[in-house]
Amino acid sequence: MPLIGALPQQLSSASPITSAPLVLFVYLVLILMLIAAMASVLLRNTLWAIGSFALSMALLALLYLTIAPLLLFAVQLVVYTTVSGGLLLGLLRLTSGLERPPISPFAHRWIVGGAVTAALGALLVLIAAATSWPMASTIQKGVLAVPYSFTRTLIDSYVVGLATLAVLIASAALGSALLLLAPALHSPRGGGERTGRR
Amino acid sequence: MTAGLNLMLVASAVLFAVGAFAVVARRSAIGMLMGTQFMFAAGALAFVAFARFGRGGAPVDAGPAIAFFVAITAAAELAIGSAMTVVLYRASRAFFLDSDGG
Repeated sequence: MPLIGALPQQLSSASPITSAPLVLFVYLVLILMLIAAMASVLLRNTLWAIGSFALSMALLALLYLTIAPLLLFAVQLVVYTTVSGGLLLGLLRLTSGLERPPISPFAHRWIVGGAVTAALGALLVLIAAATSWPMASTIQKGVLAVPYSFTRTLIDSYVVGLATLAVLIASAALGSALLLLAPALHSPRGGGERTGRR
Repeated sequence: MTAGLNLMLVASAVLFAVGAFAVVARRSAIGMLMGTQFMFAAGALAFVAFARFGRGGAPVDAGPAIAFFVAITAAAELAIGSAMTVVLYRASRAFFLDSDGG
């Protein structure tokens, strides 16, 4: 009986991506992702910072589309981009509220920037829909190199990990709920709600 | 021009540095939470890159599997961190984590 993690599987290949359009796509996604990440750290307005954070995570998911199984792309998109962005926005709503940014989003330069971004995004979606690129390219050229089901591997080889993950998520949910339900403590710095324990 | 392991590792290192900078330099709890997420994502990217472009010896699905676990763990960490931030905000009406921030 094979040990966990010692099941016969396809070994990784060392060949880099050489298809020119795909290489350009990877470079573009990486550069945009790093710019968005830096913007989310440097922006003073929390709402814009969360937006940049979600954008950088969505771009990372797009990168996973070219070098990782589809399930990881989906998890990255759902967990990091949607859940993380939603959690942070919910956190903002629960606390200080969604305040208006100091620079109005309807200022002229933001409208122009938004229009250009929307146009480029629409173009990318149009190309992807019309040509199935980059998925078709990666599969045709063997770049994806994952011929069997990633989900099956997870279920077969990482049962203990999945069970641990379930316990971890349940613990996090329970801990978050208990933290949020607990009465507010008195702050030595002043402020805060005074309805809780002293 | 190719895109291989070196490119991915450089990107991973930069992303990790951005996250570490956010954790160290930002006083806001939300900024620090985002920084930890970037650090998690950088580690996951390195695992995926090694699995995809590494020189054999590891199953091709090992890296993505680790990245999968990292993503879910990061989400759980974010949930706990968000709850802690809400509690902090209730107590001090601020997101600042340093002693003189509030």
